[in-house]
Amino acid sequence: MDPILELRGVTKHYQGFALRDVSFSLPRGYVCGLIGPNGAGKTTIVKMILGLVRPEGGEVRVCGDDPVYAERAVKDRIGFVHEVPAYYGHLRMGSIASIVRPFYRRWDQPLFEALVREFEIPTNTWFDSLSRGTRTKAALALALAHHADLLVLDEPTAGLDPVFRRSLLERLSAYVEDGHASVLFSTHLTSDLERMADYITFIRDGRVMFSSTREQVFDRWFIVKGDPRLLDDSIRQALAGVDVGPHAFTGLTSDPAAIRRRLAGRDAVVEAATLDDIMYYVGRSC
Amino acid sequence: MLRNALRKDLLLNARHLWGIVPWFLWVAYAMTEPEAGRITAVGAAFIGSLMATTIGAREDKLRTTATLASLPVSRGTLVEARYLVAYIVGAATYLIVVMAAGLPWSVQRAAELCELKTLLLTLTLASAAIAVLMPVVIRFGLLGVLVFLGVFQLLGVGLMVAFEFFGSRSSVGVFSAIERGIAALHAGLEQPVVILETLAIVGLAIWLSFRLSVFLAKRRDL
Repeated sequence: MDPILELRGVTKHYQGFALRDVSFSLPRGYVCGLIGPNGAGKTTIVKMILGLVRPEGGEVRVCGDDPVYAERAVKDRIGFVHEVPAYYGHLRMGSIASIVRPFYRRWDQPLFEALVREFEIPTNTWFDSLSRGTRTKAALALALAHHADLLVLDEPTAGLDPVFRRSLLERLSAYVEDGHASVLFSTHLTSDLERMADYITFIRDGRVMFSSTREQVFDRWFIVKGDPRLLDDSIRQALAGVDVGPHAFTGLTSDPAAIRRRLAGRDAVVEAATLDDIMYYVGRSC
Repeated sequence: MLRNALRKDLLLNARHLWGIVPWFLWVAYAMTEPEAGRITAVGAAFIGSLMATTIGAREDKLRTTATLASLPVSRGTLVEARYLVAYIVGAATYLIVVMAAGLPWSVQRAAELCELKTLLLTLTLASAAIAVLMPVVIRFGLLGVLVFLGVFQLLGVGLMVAFEFFGSRSSVGVFSAIERGIAALHAGLEQPVVILETLAIVGLAIWLSFRLSVFLAKRRDL
């Protein structure tokens, strides 16, 4: 499959933090969730895709181009929403759009106006006076209005009400339906991705813990709950992480068959894991 | 794209550039002083260019740098637009002073302010300010401007103290020497050789400053 986005062995060092050998790709027509705790390196990766941060090693490719050297061509194909949407606060939405519009070859003004109406963005209010959620909606309208091949959204649902959040997720799913565009969705709110991500990339402390399809993730990881007295060394070794309470233990396993065999007929259950569970236990096991 | 970047900078900063307006009340007053015409025009262009140069610092303060750099425009073009805006604002402020010479109470002659040597001196001083400050703004943003101005101030104070206590001449003499140097350059700018030399030095300084700014802008992580 033709990847619209590809990172190969990307490294970057900061004081007290480093991205190490980050590799993953996103084919056309899919949604990829970039998950990880705060400070894991998600925003740095998003910035590298936009060419705002230069990798020290490895390669970033968007539609086959390097964002640092083909910056104009790459950014013309990307619709972005930064973690904290920042535009000049003393301008109104219309003025901001009039500045942004000429830069994009495929800007669609009727679509932009329809999005502003649909998202109920006030056009006569200073950008600084908008709520956090409305600023994000404004950034989304700008990102969606130029038929981008790749939407790069950094924590786009933060500050949004549940109703708009759900409709946004539906819109993003629809956006990739024609198989031409893709969405990279960075978040630590994993429930958003369980609904719509085709690929999940989990990053922690600057390293990719796993990057695979949603089905592969949910087929691999399971939650095990049981009486803490069942927790012997062999069970512990089969768990990627475990919490032990006075009455029960909870752990994550990538080998549910083995766990089921060992705990068959005893006071324990093996059930589907959520992305939250996976992020929590895989992160702790490192 | 340069046109878009230029338009962006002018639109985004129009409100801040209105901050120059109160200064022009003083310009209107200065038109009544017989000796103040040239220095007001040169000073206006110098300050206008300097203010426009700090656009990047305001973008840092408002945290819009990353957003603007995410638009489909190269960093080189964004830097180019900043240089152009600095010159446009400098030229506009100079033009306003020339127009102020036409005020009913003015004792200045607009034609005198438009002499080639005065225009060239203005270009030289404004270019020097832009050439020195722009790379600092591009690389370090608001903090860079503050540190730069602070260091410049301290350097001046340090020089004054050093000359007062250890020098054979008073620091006033040093500043007078700078003033005399500018006056000598102004007078010399009537000679074709000096004009060519000055234009060559200004052009080289701005080109080097621009190349350095582009280099720094491309390597800056946002």
